[in-house]
Amino acid sequence: MSLAAQTKRNYFQSVKFKKRLVKALVTIILISGSLLILSPIWWMVSTSLKSMQEIMTYPPTFIPEEWHFENYIETIHKGPFLRYTLNTVLITFCVVIGNVLANSFIAYGFSKIAFKGRNILFAIVLVTMMIPGFVTLIPQYVLYAKLGWLNTYLPLILPAFFGSAFYIFLLRQFYLTIPNELIEAAKMDGASHLYIWWKIIVPLSKPAIATVAIFSFNGAWNDFLGPLLFINDERLYTLQLALQVFKGQNDTQWNYLMAGSLMALLPVILIFFLFQRYFIEGMNLSAGSKG
Amino acid sequence: MKKPRKALMSLFLLVLSIALILSGCSSKESNGQNGNGPEKGGKVVVDFWTFWGSEIRRPVIEKIISDFNKSQDRIEVKHTYLPWGDIWTKNLASIAAGNPADLIINDINSVSTRAKNAQNTNLAKYIAKDPELKNRFYPELYKATLYKGDPYALPFNTDTRLLFYNKDMFKEAGLDPNSPPKTWAELEEYGKKLDVKKGKKYTRIGYLPNYGIASDVWMITADGKGYWDFKAKKPIINDPKNVEALTWVKNYYDSYGDKVINSFKAEFGEETADPFVAGKLAMTTDAATFYTKIRDYGKDINFGVAPLPEMQPGSGHTSWGGGFAAEIPKGAKHPKEAFEFLKYLTDVQAQQYWAEKNFDNVANKKASENASKSKDFTDDGKMVYSAAVDNMKQTLLTPTPLEAPDYTNLINPELDAVLLGKKSPKEGLDAAQKAVKKLVKSNK
Amino acid sequence: MQPTLEQKQKSQTNIKSKKPKIPFKQKEQLQGYMFVAPWIIGFVVFLAGPLLFSLYGSFTNFNITSTMDFIGLDNYKRMFTNDNIIWISLGNTLYYVVISVPLTTAGAILLAVLLNQGIRGMRVFRTIYYLPAVLSGVGVYLLWMQLLSPSSGLVNTLLSWVGIEGPSWLADPAWTKPALILMKMWSVGGGMLLYLASLQSVSPSLYEAAEIDGASAFQKFRHITLPMITPVIFFDIVTSTIGAFQIFQEGYVMSKSGDGGPANSLVFFNLHMWNKAFEVFDMGYAMAMSWILFIIILVLTVINLKLAPRWVHYEGEDQK
Repeated sequence: MSLAAQTKRNYFQSVKFKKRLVKALVTIILISGSLLILSPIWWMVSTSLKSMQEIMTYPPTFIPEEWHFENYIETIHKGPFLRYTLNTVLITFCVVIGNVLANSFIAYGFSKIAFKGRNILFAIVLVTMMIPGFVTLIPQYVLYAKLGWLNTYLPLILPAFFGSAFYIFLLRQFYLTIPNELIEAAKMDGASHLYIWWKIIVPLSKPAIATVAIFSFNGAWNDFLGPLLFINDERLYTLQLALQVFKGQNDTQWNYLMAGSLMALLPVILIFFLFQRYFIEGMNLSAGSKG
Repeated sequence: MKKPRKALMSLFLLVLSIALILSGCSSKESNGQNGNGPEKGGKVVVDFWTFWGSEIRRPVIEKIISDFNKSQDRIEVKHTYLPWGDIWTKNLASIAAGNPADLIINDINSVSTRAKNAQNTNLAKYIAKDPELKNRFYPELYKATLYKGDPYALPFNTDTRLLFYNKDMFKEAGLDPNSPPKTWAELEEYGKKLDVKKGKKYTRIGYLPNYGIASDVWMITADGKGYWDFKAKKPIINDPKNVEALTWVKNYYDSYGDKVINSFKAEFGEETADPFVAGKLAMTTDAATFYTKIRDYGKDINFGVAPLPEMQPGSGHTSWGGGFAAEIPKGAKHPKEAFEFLKYLTDVQAQQYWAEKNFDNVANKKASENASKSKDFTDDGKMVYSAAVDNMKQTLLTPTPLEAPDYTNLINPELDAVLLGKKSPKEGLDAAQKAVKKLVKSNK
Repeated sequence: MQPTLEQKQKSQTNIKSKKPKIPFKQKEQLQGYMFVAPWIIGFVVFLAGPLLFSLYGSFTNFNITSTMDFIGLDNYKRMFTNDNIIWISLGNTLYYVVISVPLTTAGAILLAVLLNQGIRGMRVFRTIYYLPAVLSGVGVYLLWMQLLSPSSGLVNTLLSWVGIEGPSWLADPAWTKPALILMKMWSVGGGMLLYLASLQSVSPSLYEAAEIDGASAFQKFRHITLPMITPVIFFDIVTSTIGAFQIFQEGYVMSKSGDGGPANSLVFFNLHMWNKAFEVFDMGYAMAMSWILFIIILVLTVINLKLAPRWVHYEGEDQK
């Protein structure tokens, strides 16, 4: 009996040991990978802290000789960047709400309800992804002009409330992994699809919805072509558009451009960091109980 | 059945709040939409699009605009900055939608292509009232704005390629710092003398014929002609002089090998460090504005400037230039008022101000001459600027041929193939000629 | 929450055996349309018009601003008879698709699995790896042009530490596309996020059961993880193939003059299309090009869809 207990303990110890070993190995891989990933970004940071004089010297320096932290303050003062930030926040907020709501709603229809013509409609959804954007650019611009939407944020925001193929497809894939028994059971209890969508499917696919939120935040925050085309008034410009002032025909101010880009990056990183809790919660949900 | 209603309620609330947010957004913007309104306090508002947003250029153009706005009480020019390159995509979309700017800065070489495609406004009837107007510009620049004999834009600024050379390095190599190379043979000879090698590696190169410019400039210098015969309306890419010029570039190139040149070019290619400024190149070819880089980032470089060397004595120092023109997009709401401002923009005062503040070559002859004596410039600045102004008389523009607007996309890969040694200069240029001819035919 | 296989089978047979009444079915239909209605409205209002316009435009000499005369199949004919660059561009694009899609897919899965191990500082690691996906646009390409500079660039400096003499990347026609693929690999964190989200739905109890059976880490990955994330792999492959076919800006920015050089090695299909549309205003031709590209992508997507049932595993797929 004691022998059996001992072997059992040994067994556990060895598994535990193996797990630790794996974890250590993974950590080492991840750390070295992080260094590779971060080194280009360090280049941005380092450029943002240099004087133009130093940027123009050869060979380029990896670490600034002089640290010009004031570049960041100067960058902000090169234009009404607070205004541009608020404009961008407003657009991004609306777009994220629109994308999350509309796409999770539409994707439910495409994955959990059987109706006539569903497959054909879904095929059209996929088809809309396959046409290069350039050729619809001009007709789309003309359309918005006819609607009187130019120089407003409507062309940037409103389409998000009608779903986008990429996110519909993505969420459909996730919804398809959710067992239908849950829906059937809810239906037996008399729940409507609207209820099932909002109360069962949405909570169950938090990681996927968080992904959509992150992607669309990222997309709207970094959108360049949309604001460029549809906004005429400089006061309504967004960050990405405004940052272009540092990039001239042949007189780019690299330090300000990099400082500005890095500052514009912060909110996106912050959002990502915050939304990550949904990537752990999902796990707990299906696991039931875990230490 | 209570729960679904709650879900519906919350959904409804969400939609409602979004609708509120949206209407909030849009109402805010519609207030700011005065740019499209024709009048502002009784004045006609002229919407002027440029890509000059940098802290150097923007104040200069805005000063010119505000001077104009103060000079009269009928027109109010409003400046809108749009990013370089993308500005023209937007221009195109807005012309298609019928709500373009009233005036825009665009590439001078493609004015006639845009005219052919009805993207800009014929200025003939405005200029007819003012026949002297065209004489204020360098003829080569004004010529580039013509389509079927009528002007569709007025030139604003320009550039011309010059040879910059480092006088100290000349002295060091036993060359006379006051006599820069005058012919290709001299250029090559001096270039080799200025090379510095450490073991197998070059630590300094005397000159590279296709750094900063491409082989096509040398083909222009060779015979004073570009790729296109505008009278006969046909490509002349493979004429013997061009083959000769490309052969010279290729041989020069081979004397270093593409490994040396590629790594050298890529090293300095990204608008950051410049090899001439960094002391790695003894001679370079660039436009006059290059001087500002020497001034701002160089360490007291003792340099001189000269016209491009000629192929043989007497064959001519023809250089290559380009520039920007201001045009009125087709369908602009206020062309008459825009032209008023356009006249002001290309007049001596505005042009001279632009020239002096930006150290940029301008299209107005008088303004250019005034600027070359400007008190704002140092001695070096005056030297470079007046050399550039002098060089204008032998500067050729290469307007886009209407018959084959994207011809360079067919020629450049062939030039690459020649330099990579995959084709001889003759074969490469023959192939380019053939491809462009085919393009012309298919465009008919 | 997670039903066992047995339960699942049972419930499925239940569904099949039960025949829903007709009114219920109609209501179901209606609800289905209600759910996809926003998309249908959006499609009709914002997309259908421009799409049909571009289809019609491909049969005209549309130059954006003045002409739009019907010229039949001329644009399509010109593509096949008079344009050599289009074939070069298609070749370049295929090269990029074929190499980059499998590499980025595999890279993203691997990364997601590594980042799902419950290691200390996981949030920080995830953020770091996601960072490049956040950086977008022209700035990144300019940054990479500096990194790829042959002798002083970061990439070749790193390579020289391990004794490799790096190529001259963007200056050498043979290395320009690998350079772009390398850059793409750097921002694999976007795809990683998809897989990370998908991995959360894999129940740990499955792993625990497998561990008791003495499965190795690889076996667990092969028989539990991989099947469970196949829907997302499928999504990733379909969308990144579409995305890779539409590569444009990288070629435009990183070939210095925007012409796809050196030696046409960075002329991608969309870059050529862009030059035709916005440099020479031959928009009709560009529209025709876009429909050719569309057909190519469509065929590949259909193949993908047909192959999908063989390997994509849906936990909650309904039977028809």
